[in-house]
Amino acid sequence: MTSIQDRNDSVIIPNSTKPSSELLPIDLPDSAAQIWLYSGIFWMSVTMLIGVVEAVKLFYPEFLQGIPALAYGRLRPVHINIGLFGFMSMGYLGATFYMVPRLTQTPLFSERLGSLTAWFWNFNLLAGCLGIMMGFSKGKEYTEIPFPFDMTIGILVIAIAGNLFSTITLRQERRVYVSLWYILLAIIPFPIYYTLGNASKFSGIEDAIINWFYSHNLFGIWLTTLGLATLYYIVPKQVNKPLYSHIISFVGFWTLAAFYPWNGGHHVIWGPVPMWVMTASVTASIAMFIPTCATMINFGGTAWGTWEIMKRDIGYRFSLLAYVCYVGASLWGTVLAVMSLNAKLHFTNMTIAHVHLGFLGFGVPGVIAFTYFYLERSLKLKYSRNLAEWHFWLTMLGIFGYVVSMGISGWMEGSAWEAGSSPQGTMLDKYPYHVARAISGLIVLVGQFLFVGNVYKTVNYPIDLPAKSGVTL
Amino acid sequence: MRYISVFPIVVILSILFGSAFTGLVIAPGVASDIVRSPSVGLVAYSPTEAKGRKIYAREGCVYCHSQQVRNVKADENLVAAFGVSKAGDYFYDLPHFLGTSRQGPDLSNEGRVWRREIGAPARDYLIGHFINPRQYNPNSIMPAFDYLSTQELSDLTDYIQSLGAWKDSIKVAEASL
Ligand code: HEM
Ligand code: HEM
Repeated sequence: MTSIQDRNDSVIIPNSTKPSSELLPIDLPDSAAQIWLYSGIFWMSVTMLIGVVEAVKLFYPEFLQGIPALAYGRLRPVHINIGLFGFMSMGYLGATFYMVPRLTQTPLFSERLGSLTAWFWNFNLLAGCLGIMMGFSKGKEYTEIPFPFDMTIGILVIAIAGNLFSTITLRQERRVYVSLWYILLAIIPFPIYYTLGNASKFSGIEDAIINWFYSHNLFGIWLTTLGLATLYYIVPKQVNKPLYSHIISFVGFWTLAAFYPWNGGHHVIWGPVPMWVMTASVTASIAMFIPTCATMINFGGTAWGTWEIMKRDIGYRFSLLAYVCYVGASLWGTVLAVMSLNAKLHFTNMTIAHVHLGFLGFGVPGVIAFTYFYLERSLKLKYSRNLAEWHFWLTMLGIFGYVVSMGISGWMEGSAWEAGSSPQGTMLDKYPYHVARAISGLIVLVGQFLFVGNVYKTVNYPIDLPAKSGVTL
Repeated sequence: MRYISVFPIVVILSILFGSAFTGLVIAPGVASDIVRSPSVGLVAYSPTEAKGRKIYAREGCVYCHSQQVRNVKADENLVAAFGVSKAGDYFYDLPHFLGTSRQGPDLSNEGRVWRREIGAPARDYLIGHFINPRQYNPNSIMPAFDYLSTQELSDLTDYIQSLGAWKDSIKVAEASL
């Protein structure tokens, strides 16, 4: 039985009967993966840039004041939507379009469809975000993108899911590796909850419950699952040994699939919703401890004793950073769902710390790890090690600064409110932490520019890796 | 990683997702009365208030202001002054503005602080504050909404003054019985 790390990284060229002149550039193998991935990296930079602007506005509100399109309340939804639908969705779909043909040993069902959906997705997202900035926001968190651009995303996902699903159905390799399970979980229910979240016209509390059902599925069984699928694929290859335990990944996957969709109600703990909605969601959130532990043990076991590789392979270091932050964010989330703690910490910056440990700590390094992996293992190109080294340390420092500053500030806020203070009362106390967050964001952003420059140069002015460089490819 | 075919995975995943869908989407609407009926005395938004509400959505006020008082220690003062929010209070809200963050204060009872009965001083304060929050609190981090037109500012003010105001009207009605 060949394990994942032994499987071939090369692409299966479709045995096309057409003369090659009829093949467009977007029909070439991996072209879809590339467009998705590079777009994801582009949007990652944009969302970080906007994040820094917002972060500055939260302690120096006169910054860029007077331009309605750049007002805080309009930039923040743009930051979120570009972060979720631009950077995370596109980056990880890039990885998905790369993984699926390899895991199935089958050419992608339609490379052209994959590439075209990526371009559509880009323009559609751009239009949607300009719409928000011009004042057409739908006004509900995670559904701000105005009609018709919101519905277009749903339709595009159906096309993407169809493309991937057909490839999986037509597969040559009969065994279904864990990454494919996660991908199936990501692509099958998405159109249902996405449409529900964006097109439904319920009002009041029902609207809130559905809003959170949708949003939590968006983070939990779309972004997180695609992210985990990517890590499950690249980590065994980076360390060149099989996954620690397939039984544990089995347990982790099925408990995640069972509990995550129930989590939505934990956003309104103690809120005006029926008690049983809260109870169900809090229970499911605490049960998320099981899949989190499974992931922790599985990757921990795989990574055990790989110190040498860690020193050598920067991409692998990013995988580990993503892994640690994923486990951290999930445990933190479980803690935030504990009712007594939520009573204190909901509405504070503690939520922001949790969110960014998830997205900035897990999402960002995951896409980066995949990118370095892709450059080195698949394109067989050599990127600048110096820049990558700087990139790693800046990113790590920035994430740390962000999460710690927001975490402390959130705890302080919660304590002050319980002691009888109000949000106006804690405003000045938060000032230094908001400054620290903006600086941390800036550090991440500088690292990101080094990364983009590095990738650009590596791809456009390639230096091939020496055939035998001591690195096992 | 032994042979597992895709079809059973798809079926089981659909069942798992379907049960959560039933529990969190269908059940609250069907099985729960408190979700489906307005609080006693709740008043629907007037046309200008509804317009103001749209501006509230468009400008993203919800990202910093919650509209929800919870029965927890951190909200003790709010509970004492205004009471706990109930599901029926939100009956006419589309979209909902419960909020998840409090960079600024909770607004669910703002219409009971800057009451309509106060007349011009309350309106002047609210409008002046939208235009330049730091004129009133130099430390405030609220953005200045000086780019809104006079009409928009007025509609927004109508909306803010409607928040929770109906709760006081019931009290007056109860007292006069
Ligand atoms: C340079 C890095 C970043 C900075 C400085 C930054 C800054 C911010 C700020 C200032 C907020 C508003 C916080 C508040 O309301 O109090 C925010 C919210 C948010 N950011 Fe970021 N951000 C960064 C990176 C990212 C990335 C890469 C993502 C990826 C998806 C992301 C996703 C989000 C989300 C989802 C929220 C909303 C959280 C909530 O509603 O609770 N951020 N960010
Ligand atoms: C086991 C895993 C997790 C659990 C149990 C969990 C739990 C929670 C809870 C209880 C909240 C609400 C906090 C509050 O408002 O008081 C929350 C918010 C959030 N979580 Fe998680 N979380 C988990 C993992 C993650 C991961 C991995 C990500 C990102 C990739 C994430 C993204 C978010 C976002 C974006 C919000 C903010 C929503 C908002 O307020 O706008 N969570 N989570």
